[in-house]
Amino acid sequence: MLGFLTARRAGLDDPLRLRRAESTRRVLGLQLNPDRDVDRIHGNGINTIDIEAVEGRYMLSGGADGVIVIYDLENFSGKLQYTCKAVCTIGRSSRYVHKFSVETVQWYPYDTGMFVSSSFDKTMKVWDTETLKPAEVFQFEGNVYCHHLSPIARKHSLIAVGTTNPKIQLCDLKSGSRIHILQGHRAEVLSVRWSPRYEHILATASADSKVKVWDVRRASGSLFTLDQHNGDKSKASSEAVNTAHNGRVNGLCFTGDGLYLLTTGTDDRMRLWNSATGENTLVNYGKVCNESRKRLQFTVSRGCSPEFVFVPCGSSVAVYTLHTGELVTMLRGHYNNVDCCEFHPDYQVSSSDLSPNNLGAQAVKFVLLLFCCCLVKHSACVDRIGSS
Amino acid sequence: MSRKRALISDAFNLKKRKNGTEQFGATAAEEGPADIKSSLEYLMTLFPRKLFNDALPQIVLKHQLYSIHSDRTLVDKELNKMRERGDLLMFQLGFDAEAFGLVFTSDYKAKVLVGEEGKTTQTTVERFLEKVVTVCTDLSFTKDKMLKEFLFTDSEITQLVKSGVLTVRDAGSWWLSIPNSGKFTKYFIKGRKAVLNMVKKSKYGEVLKAEIEERRTNSQVKFHMKYHIHDIVGAELVESIPTTSGTLLRFVDS
Repeated sequence: MLGFLTARRAGLDDPLRLRRAESTRRVLGLQLNPDRDVDRIHGNGINTIDIEAVEGRYMLSGGADGVIVIYDLENFSGKLQYTCKAVCTIGRSSRYVHKFSVETVQWYPYDTGMFVSSSFDKTMKVWDTETLKPAEVFQFEGNVYCHHLSPIARKHSLIAVGTTNPKIQLCDLKSGSRIHILQGHRAEVLSVRWSPRYEHILATASADSKVKVWDVRRASGSLFTLDQHNGDKSKASSEAVNTAHNGRVNGLCFTGDGLYLLTTGTDDRMRLWNSATGENTLVNYGKVCNESRKRLQFTVSRGCSPEFVFVPCGSSVAVYTLHTGELVTMLRGHYNNVDCCEFHPDYQVSSSDLSPNNLGAQAVKFVLLLFCCCLVKHSACVDRIGSS
Repeated sequence: MSRKRALISDAFNLKKRKNGTEQFGATAAEEGPADIKSSLEYLMTLFPRKLFNDALPQIVLKHQLYSIHSDRTLVDKELNKMRERGDLLMFQLGFDAEAFGLVFTSDYKAKVLVGEEGKTTQTTVERFLEKVVTVCTDLSFTKDKMLKEFLFTDSEITQLVKSGVLTVRDAGSWWLSIPNSGKFTKYFIKGRKAVLNMVKKSKYGEVLKAEIEERRTNSQVKFHMKYHIHDIVGAELVESIPTTSGTLLRFVDS
């Protein structure tokens, strides 16, 4: 580490290199933080979390009882021991609360004035954070498994929605219309994800074992379907073609730069694909336990030198190196099954939430390493790097 | 490739080997890519040839290599290189979508030709081995390919299936297979189940690797114990945990 600091001071190295080295060091040393905790609001399990992209300060969480909570992650108290407070809640007493479990929540990518949540009560609601009332409600015919807003979109404001219907609906935030439909899948769509590199590219994963990549500007069907054998028909166990997995595909995640796409399936495998060509890079992660019947929310680190994938695996989080497939470590700390993870680029927070089998179990446990943002600006001096 | 600057991942030494001189218990040494061939050869020695009266070539399963080498992607790459060079053949064994059998090409050809001595299908099989197996690295063949690319007639294909070199996969497509491998598959599955039960029935569902290798095998287990252990560890049916008394195998409930 000292080598990196000296090189940065002398100008031999790019500032970004030191930042990457420090991020990697922290991720490799990730452990459960006994000092940080989060307010326990959810009575049942938490299905989904999202940390806003602007400041990384506010976190949204959606629970199995339909409750949505917003937490403030910032610690202004000056003490080491700190509990992240819930800023506001849309609880069971609210008139507009979802009737069944909330499956996906996402902040509006540009500010925290708005967020979108979708639930098994067949609706997707666009909420105003100030008043905690839905500004718009989209009704669907089947349970909504997931939705996603493009994090970089400038020319459109489409929300891609995956439901039990094989057709993917694109809802427009600006006009409220939902006439744009993507047809091609044959079973329910479990996960949708916009590319963080191109605002028109969308990837969708379905229970029919296929993953399709779409360009929403095109009138005809998908751009391509991911094939796990890369066109080599001889390996497949039957003549069925173009499947990404040998079971339902329930997790999708683009890497930070959008060049690669990771998919997980119920065949207990995780695959890394080149997102431009759809080629399977054949990185072998081994058995990635996957028993989820719904979407599996996993995440990739951003800003580290070998990138890491954090996948919930039973009651712990498995950390793999992205390109070699090596299992680095298992993060243990939860008492029950882990449902989702999110990566916070400044804090290297890997927040994992769980769904308890019995009521009254843990809400959220943070795995946190403190970090000071002025690391990059001032060459040698790092104010406080505390790791626990 | 010499680098002007070191990689960040090297600085954090992702493949830490803390033990300098002392090794607790019995640990398998880390081997580089060149040693995948030697681990293949070692696994081949565990295959019981006498059991099949020397009629079968030595078969190793791909996931057995994963139990020896920790980097699976590297193993896959090396195996693909060997297949492309023509040294190694891979087969879909049929009982599991992910279980691939590996056989050295020279072994395979020798055993098949010996098995075909004096049979009517001999010339067709010889032609098949020469033209197809040497050239094509596929695991399966479709009817189109057989008829057009390799110029085999329908009756010749029937002969190949009869001799056991091809097995039916789907209407109009065939897997490449090892003749008389049915017995192998049967003993293998039985043995695997028996060994897994041994681990499962142990106290706490776990057993030291060194201990189970020493155990008396019952009549179900026909292969060498080590062969089965490599198989169940590589297929992740048991978890391999390093402890101070050696490697511990814990049954994975899935």
